[in-house]
Amino acid sequence: MTELLTPKKLVVRIGLAAVLLVAVALLCSLIGPESISLKRAFAATQEQGAINPDYEIFVRVRLPRIILAAIVGAALACSGVVFQALLRNPLADPYILGISSGAGLGTIIAVISGLNWTLWGRSPIAVFAFAGALGTVWLVWFIGRITGRAHVTGLLLAGVVVNAFFSAVIMFLTSIAKSQQIHATIFWLMGNMTEEKLAVLWVGSGCILAGILTLYFISPRLNALSFGEDDARSMGINIARTQTIAFAAAAFITAMAVSLSGLIGFVGLVVPHAVRLVSGPDHRQLLPLSGIIGAIFLVAADTVARIIVAPAQLPVGVVTAIVGGPFFLVLLVKYSRKVSWVK
Amino acid sequence: MSSIIEVENLSFSYTPERTILKDLGFEVTPGTFLAIAGPNGAGKSTLLNLLCRLLKSKSGIVRIDGAAIDLYNTEELAKKVSVVRQEFVPAFEFSVVQTVMMARTPYYTQIGFETKTDTEIVNEAMEATDTAHFASRALRSLSSGERQRVFIARALAQNTPILLLDEPTSFLDLKHQVRIYDLLKTAQLEKGKTIVAVTHDINLAAQYADVALMLDGNCGYHTGKLEDVFSLAQIEKVFGVKTFAAKVGEENFFLPLGKFAKDRGIINTSNNTNKRK
Amino acid sequence: MNKWWWLLLIVLLWAALGFAIFGFQPAQKASAAPLPGEVNRIVSTAPSLTEILFAIGLGEKIVGVSNYSDYPPEAAKKKKVGTFWQPNVEAVIAAKPDLVITLGFSQQKNLAERLRRIGYNSLTLNIKKISELFDAIETIGTATDMRVEAKALVSGMRGELRNLSASAATEKKVRVLFVVQREPLRVVGRQTFVNEMIELAGGENAIGPTLHKYPPIGAEQVIACGADVIIESAMTGQDLAKQKDKAIQYWSRFKNVPAVRNGRIYVIDGDTVSRLGPRLCEGASAIARCLRPGLFAR
Repeated sequence: MTELLTPKKLVVRIGLAAVLLVAVALLCSLIGPESISLKRAFAATQEQGAINPDYEIFVRVRLPRIILAAIVGAALACSGVVFQALLRNPLADPYILGISSGAGLGTIIAVISGLNWTLWGRSPIAVFAFAGALGTVWLVWFIGRITGRAHVTGLLLAGVVVNAFFSAVIMFLTSIAKSQQIHATIFWLMGNMTEEKLAVLWVGSGCILAGILTLYFISPRLNALSFGEDDARSMGINIARTQTIAFAAAAFITAMAVSLSGLIGFVGLVVPHAVRLVSGPDHRQLLPLSGIIGAIFLVAADTVARIIVAPAQLPVGVVTAIVGGPFFLVLLVKYSRKVSWVK
Repeated sequence: MSSIIEVENLSFSYTPERTILKDLGFEVTPGTFLAIAGPNGAGKSTLLNLLCRLLKSKSGIVRIDGAAIDLYNTEELAKKVSVVRQEFVPAFEFSVVQTVMMARTPYYTQIGFETKTDTEIVNEAMEATDTAHFASRALRSLSSGERQRVFIARALAQNTPILLLDEPTSFLDLKHQVRIYDLLKTAQLEKGKTIVAVTHDINLAAQYADVALMLDGNCGYHTGKLEDVFSLAQIEKVFGVKTFAAKVGEENFFLPLGKFAKDRGIINTSNNTNKRK
Repeated sequence: MNKWWWLLLIVLLWAALGFAIFGFQPAQKASAAPLPGEVNRIVSTAPSLTEILFAIGLGEKIVGVSNYSDYPPEAAKKKKVGTFWQPNVEAVIAAKPDLVITLGFSQQKNLAERLRRIGYNSLTLNIKKISELFDAIETIGTATDMRVEAKALVSGMRGELRNLSASAATEKKVRVLFVVQREPLRVVGRQTFVNEMIELAGGENAIGPTLHKYPPIGAEQVIACGADVIIESAMTGQDLAKQKDKAIQYWSRFKNVPAVRNGRIYVIDGDTVSRLGPRLCEGASAIARCLRPGLFAR
């Protein structure tokens, strides 16, 4: 896309993508270990007292999962777009600045401490993972800020250091934990989709949509940022404010996604690139479209995870890695041939 | 007429041992073309960065259009000063028109799109820089000269009274060097813009600039009308190289001379034959 | 910045709508537990639970079992709802259960929670000790209106175990090494129900207290433990005699262990000792027979 974007074009494209999402979601809701039919599901709703298994499975098992996959996929993809823009690095993903190790640390602490309360219907693991992810990101941001001028490099280095340190702590805690706890931690970290209560989905999607809207509002500034902080500043963009807002919003929606469904990799790395190839680098378009395509990707991946070794379930992170891994390799080759790494 | 750029007692050093600028002071009248020259490391780019507030100095004052530069917020400053730097290729594939339109970002509507005015301004800027005919091409696919014109178009689209350029022709061939300077001069004369260009090319600057600022590399400087600053004596002293000065028609011309210069005779007569005002 | 106010407005509306729909506590929408008399369709997610259900006479009401529920034979004919480690929530729902009974370890507890979240009734039982087994049987009885049958089963089992341990009490305790896996070598530790069965049968675990329930041990500990008897639990479906031969061959390298010297290596049916369920007494008796062949010869 090399011409200028207009509101009309954007709305049309978003509309088409949304239609595609709905179609995919509907299709995937009909696929599963048990075969159900929509006709059966909604036909016998008049019968008093009888439980309609098709309806139950469709509405209570499949739909919540699909909605969850959609909002997590959207959050991760949008977050990936923003981190790639902020760090001016096409190989950035949402976890690059410590979110993954922070969430992991939160998880294992929650598991080991054996807490049993729930906060607004969320388990301790989810809450601690959220807190761990956000706390780590803040730490990385803080360290990066005090390194001064070379801000992007500072952030990346801080992320590497924090990741390494927290990973070591996680390994230590894992070595003293009981096997049951280890299993629970690893299982949670591999990324998993389960049925969540509608209230949880409501809050989660509200937070994530708010975050994505925030990022959309600053997407013109992200465009300018691609040319480097100096150029963007000369064009009148307040760098500090833009970076802070972008970073905070992207970290927030990622932490939300991680607390809902563990660490699912490759969505945030691969989807922005795939969409950028088709739609171009204009973030006003790249962001919303990546969100929708991210949702579609994760819904599809979750469906594959559900049925490929039925009745067992693969962790959805395995499917995204199997698809994303080769794609990432192709990206690496393509980018290493191009112009040198940007400053 | 009040100055559009005022610099008073400006000092700057990157590290305590290395002072780049000391007590620098000069003024620029609106609508003039200022060339900043000097040897490597004299602080030309540093000065430019101080003028667009990429760097902040702890002593001295910089005033843009009457107000201290620190009083502007980023957006307001971008309405007064636009900058063209030496090349930078972004991480993502933006097209020419998308790049130029980014200058209008502070003016976008609430939902983040450009208005009709913005489109007109961008078209004008692209016509002026002769970049309209490859508006849809990716920035990466252009030659250095074409790219430089795009960045100048972007700075023009910002519609600011002051245009700062850091060595705008350093990677360009002869034709494009002249075309860029023609463009800048036209912007100055037709639109009344104030052009401040850092340059290594004394001769080209001499063709186009009205006033000059020469930084001598030892925290000293000379400023004034071009003919006064670009005198043979100054140039030889500041650059520390034997130079031959000549007048070709109405244009002044300086040629640095090395050990292997072919006509040794010129060296001895150079200081006598060139009587300049 | 106009658009930010709009965003705030949207967020507030979203929150308000959320409160309106879900109330202030997104509490568990716990549907009322069915009256014990109304439980007609039961799903069990573990073979031991299936055995319990059959033992108290609920066999006909079972509509779904886990994959390896093979005892009693009628259980194998029931609809499968997934494996022990990975129950399939959709299959469970497709069976239209009134009550789903699960064990207490994390995967199954998760399943029970998920079902509860969607509005199905589930009962989660921790069965790690013999006393917990008896409690679980009674709980199931209460939940399904089969109290009498459950109590009968429990007292019957208690009686059998009492007889068993009484007969064995007078003799000296036999040191037992109970092996669950040969490579790598894993044995039963002191905090397990198998250990309880061993003690009831008049034995004593040759391994001292350990951190893990089923600790992996090395050759050193084997030699040091001085076991009088080595018992291996057979893998299901395999020829007991063949396994015994293999076992004897494996243990022959530990010549100075009393059990090996005296040829007291036994292989018994795994199911009765690995599932803490109604066949507990069978398992305990089998162990007792290994410890004192003379006393318990049948």
